[in-house]
Amino acid sequence: MNRLTVAWRNVTRNRRRSLITGGIVAFGFVSFALAGGFMAQSFDGLRQSAIRSGLGHVQFADARAFEKSESSTLEFGIRRAGAALAVLRTDRDAEVAMPRLEFYGLVSTGGTSIPFGGTGVDPQAEARGSDIPKTVQDGQWLQADARVVVIGRGLAKLLNARVGDDLTLLVTTPDGTLNAVDATVGGIADILIRELSERYLALPLPLAQELLAAPDTVSRFSLILHDGANESAAAVRLGSALRQAGFDLGARLWRDLAVFYQQVRVLYIGIFGFMGTVLVVIVFLSTFNATLMSVTERTREIGTLRALGARSRRIATGFVLEGALLGLASAIGGALLSLLITLIVNLAEIHMPPPPGMAKGIVIHVQVIPVVYLLAALAMIVTLAMASFLPARRAARAPIVESLAHV
Amino acid sequence: MNATPLLSGRGLTKEYPMGAERVHALCGVDIDVYPGDFLALRGPSGSGKTTLINLLGLLDVPDSGTVRLDGRDTATLSENERADTRRDRFGFVFQSFNLIPVLTAAENVAYPMLLKPEPPHDLQARAVELLAAVGLAGKEHVRPDLLSGGQRQRVAIARALANHPAVIFADEPTASLDSRTADTILDLMKQLNKERGVAFVLSTHDPRVVERAARVIALHDGAIEMGAA
Repeated sequence: MNRLTVAWRNVTRNRRRSLITGGIVAFGFVSFALAGGFMAQSFDGLRQSAIRSGLGHVQFADARAFEKSESSTLEFGIRRAGAALAVLRTDRDAEVAMPRLEFYGLVSTGGTSIPFGGTGVDPQAEARGSDIPKTVQDGQWLQADARVVVIGRGLAKLLNARVGDDLTLLVTTPDGTLNAVDATVGGIADILIRELSERYLALPLPLAQELLAAPDTVSRFSLILHDGANESAAAVRLGSALRQAGFDLGARLWRDLAVFYQQVRVLYIGIFGFMGTVLVVIVFLSTFNATLMSVTERTREIGTLRALGARSRRIATGFVLEGALLGLASAIGGALLSLLITLIVNLAEIHMPPPPGMAKGIVIHVQVIPVVYLLAALAMIVTLAMASFLPARRAARAPIVESLAHV
Repeated sequence: MNATPLLSGRGLTKEYPMGAERVHALCGVDIDVYPGDFLALRGPSGSGKTTLINLLGLLDVPDSGTVRLDGRDTATLSENERADTRRDRFGFVFQSFNLIPVLTAAENVAYPMLLKPEPPHDLQARAVELLAAVGLAGKEHVRPDLLSGGQRQRVAIARALANHPAVIFADEPTASLDSRTADTILDLMKQLNKERGVAFVLSTHDPRVVERAARVIALHDGAIEMGAA
């Protein structure tokens, strides 16, 4: 006879009550596990979205470019970009290396002139490593050597421009002179953020370099890594390889650059934390009544145990053990139920409206996160143990003769 | 009778609230319990028998007066020391048996031994031996709800003997039993008192208990009415 055995026998003493209490706890567990699994899936989706929005897994640029804006065109530009790109593209973890040349200028249809934020890109690399080319609904994405541009739908509207229209791009070159090139609207991209859409203009890198009179120069490199690659290790290794090749560049991981992702993450964690707290309180209040009844029914038994010489603490810990055991059993039941519901939900392919920052709706997919299961089990066990402890401690400290006289 | 009492109560008083009033359960009772005693506390309901057993058994504390065990004032004991004293020196038998329903007969008997800081190695064997001593050999694995009233009281007596107590307090031990079973239980207590030298303090209305008692103390309205050997 050990204390665990006795505790379990007491748990199964009133089966109906234990089942109801256990059901509440299992429900709490399922809520935790499913919410956690859905949140993890959302984080994963947002992460992919952030990385594929053009950030890449790792970016390399002049270290100052990560700290402040350029005060003049290509102030922090990277010269001999082709050589640097070759270093990046030969790394074992690099899937796609995307050179970018960022600048500002005026775009004109002849009648209207609008400021724009331009990005010179490698069209093929972007098509592989970024989701922006996929947002081009009118026309098509850039071609490597063509004198075409892709503009945001907002900018197109401001310019009243359509696919096939001719534009003039006017910029200030790094040496301070004005330069201009003519290009054709090859496609219109649906950029979700309005401010960005009204300024977005992408053009092939050679055309951008010609416009800025900055051959073989870029602003930064954005790198997509193979699945499973260690981002931090790759950043360090590539930084070192670039230094050996004569490039003293800073590196930033996507999570340091994805402000929106971080904000949403904090928001989700806050919501999940609040929901979790409410859930624990609900489970606590729901189970407290059951444990209080159980303790009250056993008042005379408690008096007997104390008469036999059991200390109050031993009696209270016995009830806590019962609560913890019921919590554990319920958590196991909750885990099995969660797995079943997860399987059903994932197979059902339930569609949801687009979340903030995404163009398309998503299919609900719940992940099974062992850490969430573990935390949920811990939360439920501790909650039930606490719900048992409070009435048990009070009963175990009551005068023995009163307990023995309890009917 | 041995001249040195094992337990002695002096000037014991106890009041209980009853609505707006206070009831005097005990009014300055003096009492001694000797090693190997078989003492019956007799009296009508409300005379203070159970209250006196509760005070002597360290289940309750007097409003005034002292309870000494082996000459030591028990008022100086902490709550845990009182629990340890009950565990090591006393046994209790209750009117309603008060067995733990989720434990088997042997586990009920073994329970007080488990409360010791170092439970005996032969705990199980000792529980079986005690059950045999009270005539319940073969009932070790039976739960209390499957035992008769007499059998349950036997288990309670075996449990009271578990830690070799000096005194067993029995509050109305025959009140829930039929006449024949009550006789058997009383004979068993008397036998254990004789064989093991353990003192018994019994509260009762039952004349059969009084007949078997070595000493009888009659209580009335919280005071001792008379003493008899």
